[in-house]
Amino acid sequence: MPVEITVHEQSCRGCELCVDICPTKVFAMDQERRLCTVEHAEDCIACLSCAYICPSGAITQRDFHPVKNFYRDEEFCQKMGKFL
Amino acid sequence: MGEVTVNTEWLSDCSGCHVAIVDLHEKILSVLEAVRIQRCPVLTDIKDYPPATVGLVSGAIRNEHDRQAALEMRKACDLVIAWGSCAVFGGPAGAGNIHTPDEIAAAVYLENKTTVPAPPPSKMVSPLESQVSPLDSVVEVDLYLPGCPPHPAFVFEALIALVEGRQPEVNGRSVCAKCKRKMEKTGVETLRSHFEGVPDPERCFLSQGYTCLGSVTIDRCLAPCPGNGVPCTGCAGATMQILTEPNRDIRTEIADRMSRLTRIGRDEIVRSLERSAKSHYSYTMATQMIGNKPTFHIRKWIEEEQADFEAGGEA
Repeated sequence: MPVEITVHEQSCRGCELCVDICPTKVFAMDQERRLCTVEHAEDCIACLSCAYICPSGAITQRDFHPVKNFYRDEEFCQKMGKFL
Repeated sequence: MGEVTVNTEWLSDCSGCHVAIVDLHEKILSVLEAVRIQRCPVLTDIKDYPPATVGLVSGAIRNEHDRQAALEMRKACDLVIAWGSCAVFGGPAGAGNIHTPDEIAAAVYLENKTTVPAPPPSKMVSPLESQVSPLDSVVEVDLYLPGCPPHPAFVFEALIALVEGRQPEVNGRSVCAKCKRKMEKTGVETLRSHFEGVPDPERCFLSQGYTCLGSVTIDRCLAPCPGNGVPCTGCAGATMQILTEPNRDIRTEIADRMSRLTRIGRDEIVRSLERSAKSHYSYTMATQMIGNKPTFHIRKWIEEEQADFEAGGEA
């Protein structure tokens, strides 16, 4: 099952940073629309580099097993669920 | 949900969040159809704290008065919303944490070069506490609505969702998501101060070598500043990935992106942002989510900048 990757198109700025940073070349650049597109979701290793580098926070992944170590503060994470 | 009653309270802040209610314009009529506003320092003359469903508290905790008011609001309201960046993160008042109350009093009242020196007030105004605190360090907060002020659309959505008993529609995207400037790679090799040159109005500030906090700031504003020629100053506070992960920070995230968009080195950008850290961290430095990061050394950065300035060098 490929990781489900969603790009919020209205938020994509066409900066290509996700295309550059992805280690498995999941993304391609649609030059005409100045948007990144998901070309090879099946290659995604869920490193989430694209989601982190995206200036807009426009990329989200679902149904994945993280392969990176995340050092998150649990108390602060709980607060995020309360953000309006 | 029966009739929804609302109390608002205003602690250490500029009043902008309360003015944002007035900025609902004619939409305030639909809010008033749905909720009954009781205590509200800008709209009603109620001094005490009547029981209410929702309490909107703006401002940081700066003195005993703020602390007591926050506790009273918590007692009176079923649901407390930290409203605006000051309540959520401490806001610009948080810069006071770099100095002691005595230093601040001396700078403002005794050594102020533009007014007649006078002793700090000792009556009627409660003295400053030693630290500026976000609201949730004093009372339990149910919901957070950052922004300076939060765009009326978010206040409206929050209140209507509460009335309708549903989850508000929110997202964690950044100011860049709403900005229309063209973000593209350029050959720019030098950082520029905002007073240098005239930025291209169509192109992303970062692409041009200007500092902009859009990519590290949660969008609770709909990006009016970059749309009108002003780089983002980060007034709604940091994005969630910065708030939750100790190894991510405002300056490093900007530098990561800017160094990929231009030919300016990452370290040079980080260094430059550290030298003006009081500006870039001004809205969020009082919250533990930013202030307790192991790499956040604002006192050291300020001392270095001051030392260079006094030596007549880079300032």
